[in-house]
This record gives sequence, C-alpha cells and structure tokens, in this order.
Amino acid sequence: MIGFLRGVLVFFGAMFLQWWWNTHLAYWGAAPQFLLVLTILLAARRGPVLGMLAGFGWGLYLDVARAELFGASALILTLAAYFVGVARRQIDLRALGPLAATTFLFTWGAFVALGLLGLVFTKSFEWSGWIAVAATPFLNVVAATVFALVWDARDDR
Amino acid sequence: MQRETRIANIVLGALSALSLLFLSLPLSTPVRSFKAGAGYLFDPLAYHGEAGYQRISGLPARVGQLLRADIENESLRAELRRGEWLSTTVSALSLENERLRRALVLKAPAGRYPAWVHVMERDPIHWYRSLVVDAGSDRGVALNDPVLGPRDGRLVAVGRVVDVRPNMSTVLLLTDELSAAAAYLSSGTLEGLVQGQDGPRLRMNYLNAEAGLSEGDSVYTSPTSATFPPDVLIGRVARVNPRDPFLTFQSVEVTPAADASSLQELMILRAKPLEGEGKPPVYVPPPAPVAPAPVAPVAAPAAAAAPAVAPAAAAVSTTTAPRPRRRKAPAVAPSSAPAPSEAAFEAVDPEEPR
Repeated sequence: MIGFLRGVLVFFGAMFLQWWWNTHLAYWGAAPQFLLVLTILLAARRGPVLGMLAGFGWGLYLDVARAELFGASALILTLAAYFVGVARRQIDLRALGPLAATTFLFTWGAFVALGLLGLVFTKSFEWSGWIAVAATPFLNVVAATVFALVWDARDDR
Repeated sequence: MQRETRIANIVLGALSALSLLFLSLPLSTPVRSFKAGAGYLFDPLAYHGEAGYQRISGLPARVGQLLRADIENESLRAELRRGEWLSTTVSALSLENERLRRALVLKAPAGRYPAWVHVMERDPIHWYRSLVVDAGSDRGVALNDPVLGPRDGRLVAVGRVVDVRPNMSTVLLLTDELSAAAAYLSSGTLEGLVQGQDGPRLRMNYLNAEAGLSEGDSVYTSPTSATFPPDVLIGRVARVNPRDPFLTFQSVEVTPAADASSLQELMILRAKPLEGEGKPPVYVPPPAPVAPAPVAPVAAPAAAAAPAVAPAAAAVSTTTAPRPRRRKAPAVAPSSAPAPSEAAFEAVDPEEPR
C-alpha cells in the first residue's frame, strides 16, 4: 500500500515538477524533460511494463496541454520505455554512463519521433527549435544522473 | 524473462494502438471525451500549482512587507501615543489657560498682596475640610491668610491658611466644622456667623429671630471678620431653617459659592509682599446699586466688636455685581446656645489633631 501511494506521489510529483520547470525556469524552450527521463529510469530499473504504463500516463499529461497531436507524447514515452526495456538486456543501465548515453540518444529520438508523428498526422514536421533540440539532451542527462543518484541513495538506505 | 517480454509486448501493443487511435481520430467524440477527462484529471495540477507558486513566490516580498508594516505600525503607535499625550497636555493647558485668563481679570482687595496658587492635593476623606496648595513661605504665604477662589468672574471666600510649609500650605475650607466667619445677608443686611458642617453646605447662625429671611439671599463676609476682607461672597441661602422656640435667633443653610469639587486655582491674600515684589494693584470698585433694606434688629454674637460702618469699598470683583448695603448691627449677644466664634476659629491650632 505504501509502495502504491509512493508511486502515485511520484507520478503526480513528476508531472508537477515538469510543469513548474517548464513554466518558470525554461529559457528559449530549453528545459529538461523530466517525464522522459523518469520513464527511461523507471524502465531501466523496474522493467519496461511499469515504464510503459507510467510513460503513457505522463505522455497523456503532456498531450492534454497540446492543441494537436493528442497521443503523440503518450506513444513516444511508451516506445521509449519499451526500447529501454529491450536495451537493458544488453546494457547495464544501472551504471550512470550507459544511462546517460541512453538518455542522450532517446532525447534526440523523441524529438525526431515527435517531428515524424507531426509529419504523418498533421502533414508538417513538428520542430521544437534548435535551442531545445541542442540543449535538452544535455539537460536530460544531468537530470537522469541526479535522479539515478537519488534513487541509488534511497536503495542504499 | 519470456513472460515479462510477452507482457511488455502486449502492453506496448495496447498502448501504442490507443495512442495511434488518439492521433488518428483527434476530433472523434470518444477521443475528445477522453481528452476532456484527462484534462479534468491533470488541469488542477497546473491550476493549483500556479496558485501555490504565486503564494510561495510572493512569500519573501510579503514577509518583507509584513516586517516593514510591523515596524511602521510600531512607529505609528508610538506617534499616536505621543499625539494622545500631547493632545491631553494641550487640552489641560487650554483649560488652565482659560481659568487663568478668567482669573486675570480678578483683582484682590486693596492692601492685600495676591498670590495665585494651584490646588496640589486633596484628601477624599477630608473633602470638605482642607486642601493643600503649592505655595508656602517661599512665596510669602503666612498663617491665617485668607484664601479666595474664582467663581463666575468674581472672587469668593474659600478658607484660610492654617499650615505653612516652605513650598506648600494647608487651607482650611469654610465647609470645615471648625471654620467660622462673620457674615451678613444681602437683603436684610443681617449679621450672623457662617459655620462649616463638614458637608457641602454651611450654616449661618445668630440671625435676628424676628427678621424675615428668604432663600436665594447672598451671604457676604462682614467687615468684622478678622480673616476675610469685607464683602467677599460666601454663598447663597439655600434653605431657611424653621424657628426653634428655645433659641433667640434664626439660622439658614448656605450653599457655598466656592464649589469644593472644582477648586483648582486659588488666590491667597498675603499681608506682606515678598522682597522685590511691587505694590498690589489699586482697584477702584464700580458704583454699587443701593438695595432697599428692611429695618430689623440684628443679632451678631461673635461680632460684638462689629464696626458700624458701611461695607468697605474694596469689592473683590470686576463684574458689576450689586454690592449690598449694610446696616449697623446692635451688639446683642445670644445666650441660649454655645456658638463657636470666629475668634475661636482663629485660635484653632492647625497642628493639633482633631
């Protein structure tokens, strides 16, 4: 029960963190994608199923705030969790280095996937802007490292 | 592992299909309803989050404002207290100024050296007996100096000094039971002796038994008084006591002109001036209207040595109050009642406990 409540708290807390950072600390569209980072981390540590469920929910939250492409973020985060689940069979994603590299690559992959989904469903490539595309992967790596360290510290305790 | 992979594939298929459904049919009613439901679930997060953020972000500024407001509040409170104190002081000074302004137009009888003093202390237990004023031998006050008080633009009899200290004096009020002063009534010019009763009223005794007395008559000090200058208002007749067949005189109740409750500034008539003090101002009284006087014998027991003279010209008021005409009083002393004379009044030792 406590684990479930903690999961709910993390689920909504992550959304609040994403909203707060995007609203008040994002500059020129560059902000860490906490929900993507946590989806990757969850899939790497707890398996792809939990990661996909959480990622789908967080994706819906991101999609609600968007005028079009409802379901795109949900699909991207679901796929990200699935592929991280696949990748963790080959790579030790508990280590910080592989996790950072995976996050870096998946961030760009998410941008590309979002653009392609826009191209398919709205006939225009959904481009997030150069600054966001250039800076967000690094911000996500930092966020993933911090979250992983916090997770590890909690597990050690 | 295989099971987890299979479940993952199933979940992936389901969620991907759902997502593609959302993407493919964004305008369909079920998708719009689902989006509305998701918005209903997630929107409060942003809404309440923003409200909370606004509160939290404004907290330092509000704390600063609160601190500044508190400091300002303390400052304003202190200023308000100072203002209240200042207002009270100004009000008291204004009242005192008004009293003194009225008192300035009052002049003392000729040959006396007036000294204005403040009432410094009053004992509630001896409210009608005595009070302490803030002038003593340092200002030339001497024992038995008469004390007058301002009332409606004129000076009225209050009492006499019975104890002199360096900086203060004790005044024995006329209402004290040991006080007595020779006096006369304005209507009939009847002589009598006004005595205190330790209460708000005085009693005037030794009035002619056959004289017609009426309420409202003014009572003035007599020229025979050893303490007071003549023709100083003492009070008015409040009630004529019924005649006692065993006494050879009548008596009346007198309401003092000096209200014992409102004495604040008094005038002590000193016999000698201080060194370097000038002569007292010479006062020329206004012409006095002549009042018709009934002819009646007068009994003045204590004032046996009353001089058969008209009231002295030294009226004590600058107002045009009528000055009564007095008549010569025969020296007929009553014998049926013990009467404290003004001489006895003068002999009271102020240091002696009562």
